Amino acid sequence: MDEARLTDDEVVASVLDGRTRDFEILVRRYSGKIIHFIERMTADSDESRSIAQDVFFKIYQNLSYYRAQNNFSAFIFKVARNMTLNWLHRQKRTVFFSRLLGRELARPPLEQEPPRISPQERDERERALTLGLRRLPEEQRLALVLKVYLEFSYKQIGEVTGWSVPKIETLISRAKARLKKFILLQESGGEPVLQARDK
Amino acid sequence: MNCQRIIRLLSAYQDGELDAARAREVESHVCGCAACRAEWDGLRELDRRLRRLPPPGADPFFATRVMAGLRPFPAGKWRLLQAVVHALVFVLIFAGGFVVQTALNGRSAARPATDSTFSAVLLEPFDLGLLAVHDDTMRLFAPERP
Ligand SMILES: [Zn+2]
Repeated sequence: MDEARLTDDEVVASVLDGRTRDFEILVRRYSGKIIHFIERMTADSDESRSIAQDVFFKIYQNLSYYRAQNNFSAFIFKVARNMTLNWLHRQKRTVFFSRLLGRELARPPLEQEPPRISPQERDERERALTLGLRRLPEEQRLALVLKVYLEFSYKQIGEVTGWSVPKIETLISRAKARLKKFILLQESGGEPVLQARDK
Repeated sequence: MNCQRIIRLLSAYQDGELDAARAREVESHVCGCAACRAEWDGLRELDRRLRRLPPPGADPFFATRVMAGLRPFPAGKWRLLQAVVHALVFVLIFAGGFVVQTALNGRSAARPATDSTFSAVLLEPFDLGLLAVHDDTMRLFAPERP
């Protein structure tokens, strides 16, 4: 079987027919993009792999709900988006409760350095950018990451998020403006990275 | 002039999301306007930097780990059996709605039936499936208005 030629829908049909191993074709096809997406959203490379793994489990469990309409990509990114946002919200709650209980974490997750920094990422400019991305309001970050790192069109972003194209246009435009300002501020040595919290 | 309007369009222009007419408008304005030109250069620089962030390192065992965690899918006849069981459960839910309604109202089941309606219920938080449920069943969860 020439797996590269199979459409996503054909692979799904095959898995539903009992050929479980074929699910691996979908995992190989999408894991890179899904991990990239989650890592840009969470700035945590270990967690992004673990969340991505759960995304594929969830997809597998719910495969029979997928209506074959040649939009498997939207289906899988919807699940990835939901699970990533859930994780981010859980992180926020963890920080909130640990403060409430007086057991302040050394530093709340959102202000921590990215846990695993690749050698290149030590570059100050990249670090500022990663941090800037993480500081964007969630909706802006989601739209920008889908645009820049997954090269989704605004219409495709709409399919994943349920937002209108004008809303996406505004979110991305604001995200870029905010990031530009943030980077400029970093480079003019204005505010130290860890205190420059907007919002 | 209309710099504000152009600046608002620049991001969508960069993303290739403007129709031809608006794209031309942006281009001709930016060519002759130093302020908007600077704005555009800033956007391009940001885009270059964003794309220069290294992608996550490859994880050669990822697919293997995922596959190791999967339970085999119920195939062929087992899926059929599963579908039959689901169908039976749905029928029970429908029937339950009728029984409870007649019991609550103290009316006889032989009474001429009123219009029967069904509602669709979301099964999953991300619209993965719809389930038709008889409205009498729905009323168990949402009390009827007088
Ligand atoms: Zn101008």
